[in-house]
Amino acid sequence: MEGRPAEDAVLVERAQHGDTEAYGELVRRYQALATRTAYVITGLSTEAEDAAQDGFTKAYFALGRFRTGAPFRPWLLRIVANEAKNRRKAAGRRPTVDLSVAEDRPSGDTALSPEEAALASERRAFVLGALGKLREEDRLVIAYRYFMQLSEAEMADALGVARGTVKSRLSRAIGRLREITAGQVRADA
Amino acid sequence: MPDRLDDRDLERILTDIATRLDGPKRDMWPAVRARIGERRIQPWWSRLGMDRRTLAPIAATLAVILVAALLLTPRIADALGHLLSIPGVQIYQVPQSPTARPNASAPTFAGQRVATAAEASRIAGFTVRTPAALGEPSAIYVETAPVRVTIVYASVKGIPVSAQAGVSAIVVEFKGTIETQIMAKAIGPGTFLDAVPLGNGVAYYLSGQPHQFFFRDPAGNLQPETLRLAGNTLLWEQDGYTYRLEAQVSRDEAVRIASSFR
Repeated sequence: MEGRPAEDAVLVERAQHGDTEAYGELVRRYQALATRTAYVITGLSTEAEDAAQDGFTKAYFALGRFRTGAPFRPWLLRIVANEAKNRRKAAGRRPTVDLSVAEDRPSGDTALSPEEAALASERRAFVLGALGKLREEDRLVIAYRYFMQLSEAEMADALGVARGTVKSRLSRAIGRLREITAGQVRADA
Repeated sequence: MPDRLDDRDLERILTDIATRLDGPKRDMWPAVRARIGERRIQPWWSRLGMDRRTLAPIAATLAVILVAALLLTPRIADALGHLLSIPGVQIYQVPQSPTARPNASAPTFAGQRVATAAEASRIAGFTVRTPAALGEPSAIYVETAPVRVTIVYASVKGIPVSAQAGVSAIVVEFKGTIETQIMAKAIGPGTFLDAVPLGNGVAYYLSGQPHQFFFRDPAGNLQPETLRLAGNTLLWEQDGYTYRLEAQVSRDEAVRIASSFR
């Protein structure tokens, strides 16, 4: 993590001076994170990719306003998240958080018995379903922390909130997720 | 779910999910790059508030007559909308890449020839800037109606002499406004329009197939002698002045040259 900000800063500066390939490098570096961010909001993988691409495009044209020395990753994710939110609002539907995205890749389950693996899969499906019932801001804070491993500072930047707010927001979101999985809350509160 | 999940269970499951999430399977950059290039191209039908399908037959007809409309009735062309918002410049999309006239020759440069940028500045009434990266100009011309300065670089090391312009590089500078369209370009499908950051603003790079290029006179009419094809071109606006650099160089090299204006 330590090397990334400096390297991002170099690429951003080169992009600001017209080196589009430097921006291409940033796109390749963060396309997975950007798509995940959009996916958590839209719930559709194809739309998430489209939103991520539009987010990258908007970020490119906003490079002139990018504050020198600021971390690029959360700044980008904020733009992508806004793009995805606008799309979801325009479509007027709730995210579905498609389980197939999480289930089509084996991941360390080889040591589990078939029964245990099936239970783990069921739990993942259950939690993903619960995530889909959370409010957007709760879903996003959980995704930034667990799916993208952003630091607290990065989460604060990406969410546009004070750093001190991140912990409480994450704690509240996990609490809501727990309530939903326990069957105490069934829809947006 | 039969059993209750506590916060630690949830964290573990969320972390497990994270390892399984897929990202995009292919490189996104080509698609993003294309969107960046298209971003400033506003489809003209979007200004009419009508569905594209409704407009399709009309669009096809208009596309066919667009080049003629440009030449005959600037007002019709204006109604279709220009693609960029650089003061004094109109860029139109046309259905086919223009081709050179059979007897097209290298352009002649109109206006009064002057010896130095300082003299050009005095006549033009604004500070004429030159790109340090291109060295000393071969010639500078100043026109006064409308005011326009053309700086010619006949031969610059590393920049081929353009088949269209007959020289290595041409720089044009003028004070443009949205109301007075001084210069226009017609680009076909083979011409790539790319927006690139330049300083604190945005420049536009036209590359690929040569595009059609012409100046308008003070009355807004096309000046036929200026109608010619142009190669790779970078356009930008700074401090109220519009700059045009025509040279067969890459986008990044064009931006480097543009950054060297003093």
